[in-house]
Amino acid sequence: MATNRIDGKKRTVLSVLATLLMILFAVFAMIPFAFMFMSSLKPGTEMMRYGLTLKFDPGISSFQNYTALDTYRDGVYWHWYKSSAIIMVLQTVIGLAFSSLVGYGLAMYNFRGRNLIFTLVLIVMMLPFEILLLPMYQMMIRAKMMNSYFGVIIPYLVPPFMIFFFRQYSLGIPKELMEAGRIDGCSDFGIFRRIMLPIMIPAFGAMTILSCMNSWNNLLWPMIILQTEKMHTIPIGMGTTITPYGNAYDVLMPGAVMAVVPIIIIYLFAQKTFIKGLTAGSVKG
Amino acid sequence: MKKLLSVLLSLILMLSVCTALADDAPIKLTLWTFQELHTELYKVMLDKWNADPTKPALEIDFQVFPYEDMHNKLTIALQSGEGAPDLVDIEINMFANYLKGDIGLAPMNEYVEPIADHLVMSRLNNYSKNGNYYGIDHHIGATVMFFNTSILEAAGIDYTSIKTWDDFHEAGKTVLEKTGKPMIVWESADCWSVYPMVNQHGGDWLTPDNQVRMDEPVVVNTLAFMKSMLDDGTAIPCPGGWTHTEEYWGWMNGGNCAAVCMPFWYLDRFTNYMPDLAGQIKIAPMPEWPDGGHKSAQMGGTGTAVVASSPNVEVAKEFLAYACLTFDGCVTTWKICGFDPILMDVYGSEEMKEPNKFFEYYDQDIFAVLSEVLDDIPDTCLTEYFPTATDIVKTQMAYRLVELREDPEQIAHDCAEELRSQID
Amino acid sequence: MIRRLKNYLTGPKGVPYLFVAPFIIFFLLVYLYPLIMTIIMSFQQIDGPNHHDFIGLKNYMKLNTRDFNMALQTSGRYAVWDVIVLTIIPLLVACVLHSGLAKASNFFKSLFFIPSLTSIIVAGIVFRLAFGTLETATVNRALTFFGLQPVKWLSYAGPGNFVLILLTLWRWNGVNIVYYLSGLQAIPTDHYEAAQIDGANAWQKFIHVTLPGIRPVLIYVITITVLGGFSMFTESVALWQQNNAGGVGRTIVGYMYMVGFKKNNLGLASAVGLVLLGLVVAVNLIQLVLMGFFRKED
Repeated sequence: MATNRIDGKKRTVLSVLATLLMILFAVFAMIPFAFMFMSSLKPGTEMMRYGLTLKFDPGISSFQNYTALDTYRDGVYWHWYKSSAIIMVLQTVIGLAFSSLVGYGLAMYNFRGRNLIFTLVLIVMMLPFEILLLPMYQMMIRAKMMNSYFGVIIPYLVPPFMIFFFRQYSLGIPKELMEAGRIDGCSDFGIFRRIMLPIMIPAFGAMTILSCMNSWNNLLWPMIILQTEKMHTIPIGMGTTITPYGNAYDVLMPGAVMAVVPIIIIYLFAQKTFIKGLTAGSVKG
Repeated sequence: MKKLLSVLLSLILMLSVCTALADDAPIKLTLWTFQELHTELYKVMLDKWNADPTKPALEIDFQVFPYEDMHNKLTIALQSGEGAPDLVDIEINMFANYLKGDIGLAPMNEYVEPIADHLVMSRLNNYSKNGNYYGIDHHIGATVMFFNTSILEAAGIDYTSIKTWDDFHEAGKTVLEKTGKPMIVWESADCWSVYPMVNQHGGDWLTPDNQVRMDEPVVVNTLAFMKSMLDDGTAIPCPGGWTHTEEYWGWMNGGNCAAVCMPFWYLDRFTNYMPDLAGQIKIAPMPEWPDGGHKSAQMGGTGTAVVASSPNVEVAKEFLAYACLTFDGCVTTWKICGFDPILMDVYGSEEMKEPNKFFEYYDQDIFAVLSEVLDDIPDTCLTEYFPTATDIVKTQMAYRLVELREDPEQIAHDCAEELRSQID
Repeated sequence: MIRRLKNYLTGPKGVPYLFVAPFIIFFLLVYLYPLIMTIIMSFQQIDGPNHHDFIGLKNYMKLNTRDFNMALQTSGRYAVWDVIVLTIIPLLVACVLHSGLAKASNFFKSLFFIPSLTSIIVAGIVFRLAFGTLETATVNRALTFFGLQPVKWLSYAGPGNFVLILLTLWRWNGVNIVYYLSGLQAIPTDHYEAAQIDGANAWQKFIHVTLPGIRPVLIYVITITVLGGFSMFTESVALWQQNNAGGVGRTIVGYMYMVGFKKNNLGLASAVGLVLLGLVVAVNLIQLVLMGFFRKED
């Protein structure tokens, strides 16, 4: 914004205020993690006695609870971890591949029914998936996809919000690039692969994070499809540790911390492309 | 050459032995539960079963799910006719859902009927329809009072002198005056306070043919009594809304309340989540109503059932009866889970007196208390609309009474009307 | 024949359909068919796989209950505040970040996004315990420290909604900030310069340059927030764990879940689902018309 003409003193004051505001929001964003981490170091009974505290008591705090993840129900936690990871990778790779094609096609070509299809994308975006649960479940049984990772990702093969995003992103790509490709004798898919993909990398970065994040935290549908304990994902598994019928706090908190770590690592690696992708793909109505 | 031949022959022999063995491979069953504690019981009983050469070898795959999700999964599995397990733990409030239309569960009559005289049948009636018993419970779930004796002693009260609810209320006033602490909590978010008290008083939500009983005087009177304790502060709304929250456990563990009224199986919540109260908690029968009613109420429970479409129905039924209806199974249930088993024969036996963590925590003859009330536990009327009734109690009756302190008659009237509107 | 088809599909007329084919197949299989099934089921009484009886509008008539009204109120109240809070606060933060006034903007940008990476179920435990009903719960302790009265946060509709919104803000703030930043960066700087020459102050510039500039993003954010608001479920489960005293935390989807699975009445649940769909589409259509989404200028 054009604040550069504001005189120096006023600017300093504003800058301090702005930074303070940002720090406030940063504390808000981080404080639940601090509670989570501190609780994960203490025995579950401590949380019961004193509730959530940030107090660090060297006498009782240790990484002991983390080793409990190995022994809890014969180490089932790591099976949950594996399932979550496999589903996340499958869902993200397939979802990106399909939706980038569709989004690109909607933006770059003029064809009969294009507006109809885009309207359908918008409607599907507004459709709460929950209301389709039961018929979907019956379909999965008929297709023999129960208790399979593929069954879990079926509803997310071509996510509409990704189509929407890739379309918006592609609208910003000059059409001349396509003409140039044609002159060089590329097929339409050749143009997409060789010319457009490299330009769209930031968009892929952004959607990778969003897709990983959705998949990693998804609960309802995987719960219905995955039937055996070892196939479960982390959110389902963690759900079994917090029931009124027996709470395993010793596993819950370290399990929660360990569940956050990988996604944050992916994020830290991909965040540059990610932020660039989201911000470069300016969303146009 | 000969050597080679003999090697070959022995190989073939080995192979045939292997395939013969494969025929004897254990039968595989799947069991769904929402209560991990139950799997401990099943595992012990499974080992005993497999050690018995007259029983076919079994292998059970235990699947622990979150409570809500397990029932949802079971609903859709039975609805669509596929994907159900062989054995499943169904919570009592949900059970009626699975007795609608075509029943997807297998009756256990051939195991229940021969020993009916030895069982607490009011429990098994909860899981029955048209004379068929579909679920086997692990416990009676008799509601009792858990007293914090150190608070009562500080107020100069002997807990054994509390016989009626009026005594209880008076004691509460003394406790409040002397210690500043409430006598008891009422749940605002669940039905574990309202229902046992109404049920013990002789009331219920429905009749067997789905006539609504929610606005009967007995319900209104019970609610009015509960409200009178709230009004003078001898009862307070349960921290966290109900007695299965971290908040409540932490608060209770801190010695902030003199009593809680819960089913017998709650004793394992004390040993697990309220360790600091060891030795201070004593179990007593529920106080009685001056105008009649019963000595206790049954509350909560799990009906373990066999799914009718299972390819191994017969062996699944046999194992269920073995684990839950035999003397050994019931004693093991007490030792592992701390439940009050449904087989009357176990009470008074030597096996039930062996020291364990429960006797250590409570330091009293737990079963003496239980035997006082066993002969007078009313039935619950679990029709297919019981889940609906329970939901209305949770969202309206308990909340409006405990949090909003509305007029009991109005609450009972509104809830009854809402329930009637949901019944065809 | 096959060759003709192949020629058509690789020719200029057919290629676009090849690109969008995955969506069309997906739409028919995963959305259209189940949606039609749901509509049919909403007119049925369903007792087991072989008992589907048509009962006309009876399911819809059964929705006239206090409980369902409370669910509508809960979801409605949440949706309104959700749209207000999650539109304005992230916009404010994004503008500050974009202005370059604050130090270490990039650091904050990355940091704000981290909460959205966590599972709401897990983070909800922290919120649930922090906003406990007891005076000794974390937030109430802080309130009493400042001489304020403790609040039974999760027991009443108003404070309960506040905690829900706070949890939502914590989780989604970063995502919306990033969306807004993308819009802000697309506004050409010369627009601001022109406004400057016309003598506009900071507020006028925000109203006349920034807001029109980010209108497309605003539309997108509001659309998904309306959807998220009305179909919210997980957040309330995280805070109330299926216990809905007084209907304080039960949303429309929560009600649908309860009816469908706890009461095993899938026909009624389908009717609830379709009411929800109608609500979301209606509110979003009104919103899109008001925001001028269907005007032809973009």
